[in-house]
Amino acid sequence: METLYRAVEQPRPETSPSLVRPRRRRSFLSRLLASWKLYLALLPTLLILGLLSYYPAINGLYHSFFLWQPGYDSPFTGLENFKAMLSDSVFLQSFGNIVQFFLFGITLAWLLPLLAAELVLTLSSKRWQFLFRTLLILPLAFPLVVVYELWGFIYDPQVGLLNSFLHALGLGALAQNWLGNPSIALYSLMLLGIPWIASTPFLIFLAGLQSIPKEIYDAAAIDGVGWLRRIIFIDVPLLLGQFRLLLVLAIISFIQLAVPMALLTNGGPAYATMTPALYMINTAFFDGNWGYAAAISTVLFVITLAFSFIVLRVQRRQAAAV
Amino acid sequence: MKARRWRRDLLAGSILSVLVVVSLFPYLFMLIGSLKDNTQFYHSYWSLALPFHWENYVLAWNSIKGYMLNSLIAAGASLLGVLLLGSISAFVFARYRFPGREFLFTLIVCLLMVPSISSLVPLFILIRTLGLVNTRFALILPYVAGGIVLATFLMRTFFQQIPDELFEAAHIDGASGVQMYWRITLPLSGPIIGTIALLTLINIWNDYFWPLVTITDDSLRTVTTGLAFLQGQYITLWGPLFAGYVVASIPLLVIFSLASRYFIAGLGGAVGGADMVK
Repeated sequence: METLYRAVEQPRPETSPSLVRPRRRRSFLSRLLASWKLYLALLPTLLILGLLSYYPAINGLYHSFFLWQPGYDSPFTGLENFKAMLSDSVFLQSFGNIVQFFLFGITLAWLLPLLAAELVLTLSSKRWQFLFRTLLILPLAFPLVVVYELWGFIYDPQVGLLNSFLHALGLGALAQNWLGNPSIALYSLMLLGIPWIASTPFLIFLAGLQSIPKEIYDAAAIDGVGWLRRIIFIDVPLLLGQFRLLLVLAIISFIQLAVPMALLTNGGPAYATMTPALYMINTAFFDGNWGYAAAISTVLFVITLAFSFIVLRVQRRQAAAV
Repeated sequence: MKARRWRRDLLAGSILSVLVVVSLFPYLFMLIGSLKDNTQFYHSYWSLALPFHWENYVLAWNSIKGYMLNSLIAAGASLLGVLLLGSISAFVFARYRFPGREFLFTLIVCLLMVPSISSLVPLFILIRTLGLVNTRFALILPYVAGGIVLATFLMRTFFQQIPDELFEAAHIDGASGVQMYWRITLPLSGPIIGTIALLTLINIWNDYFWPLVTITDDSLRTVTTGLAFLQGQYITLWGPLFAGYVVASIPLLVIFSLASRYFIAGLGGAVGGADMVK
């Protein structure tokens, strides 16, 4: 029999206590058989996830230890793929790039959204708050490819917006081939989307700040705490949970970062903007080196998992300590 | 006091206005540029130029309408699958007790931890082995699989918050499980369905690598890969190129203006999941 899920099992008043037999525990098998309709309802979901999520993930993990030639014999090569990674200078460089990108992503790319969220909430009119919030996140409504291609145009050395702007200001000497110069291409990609307010951090900071009780601010105001000191000593500590969530999200998203590079630089010039994820894709789809690509995927997956685990673990310990 | 508040508003408002101008200027430039021909583009680079060249939009629309249709078909079909399967499994997990409930639910939610990029290669091999490359199924099936996970997770939480009394009353009136799903749960689930619908649509409209590797047939290309392809074709015709960008942005912009609350909730939902490529 299917049983409705209830938090509290209702007592049955019509039977006297002495007559109540302990509810007969049915065997596991009979309960299993009794719930067949439920399993049937879950079957399509489980099948599609098994075939299209679990099977590929496990298959990829497994084939990272092979010279994978889909459709042909794939000889087992043990740890060869992983060893090759250690002496692959492009792969190592791509990791250096992504670390730089990550460091930028958790400092500068958080600072302006935090400032903007503070400013929006400083406004005394709810209508103006709504207006500025909407305008600031509006760029999120543009498809990513449009955003990246548009920035490709902004950085264009001949007709691009940025160089034209510099020329108009009489600063033509500062004009650059922003994406074509190996020593600045990576930084140009970091600046893409400045001031980075149309982003998840902004929305999370905004929600976090709104949940801080007003009494704390009132108390601080009475003590004469200024705006900047309030942000540093009250808001930032109270947003610790939000920072940790954003840190996990940043790890996951920067490990996967590849689309802007694929569209604008293809990892160049001279691998200056190569990322591990893009390298993995190129290795698989252009070089046909499937086993090596699978091994890189495995490494990326393990790194994501490890770092997310550490961050969540620290979070739990700190929560327990409070 | 009042004067101080006013001064503070003015300061905050002016800094915010600068930030708004900086973030929106490129899009404004794109909008203005989409109405220029190349002479106007080079001669009045910073300003509006008359006459407006609306034919840029005709040209752009003719080049990308096929891509947009393909994206809409993929998004619509995937959305249907995600909502149907996700709501059924969420209903079962939220409302019933049965052996293996926790285990199966954990099995599904675990997938939130797998970054989509790390199964790109093996998933492609699977789709190729199944002979689905260059078919719509190559997009729809993985999108459904990717979407179900978060949908099940979010909808289960939502369904658990529906008061038990409603289901008990229905149970007493002899409603079956299917009726409780169809007549009670779904009609109450507007907000969560809206959120998941938006999330799915945004993800599909933004996905780049998967359609790039699975669809090489131009008649099946989606809007993301189509635009990148277009960029190569129109490299020196800025007006039509920008018009194409504007047209491709319209579906998400319309939804954003009609339902910015769901839109933000959808992005918040994406935060819960792992799919937030910058």
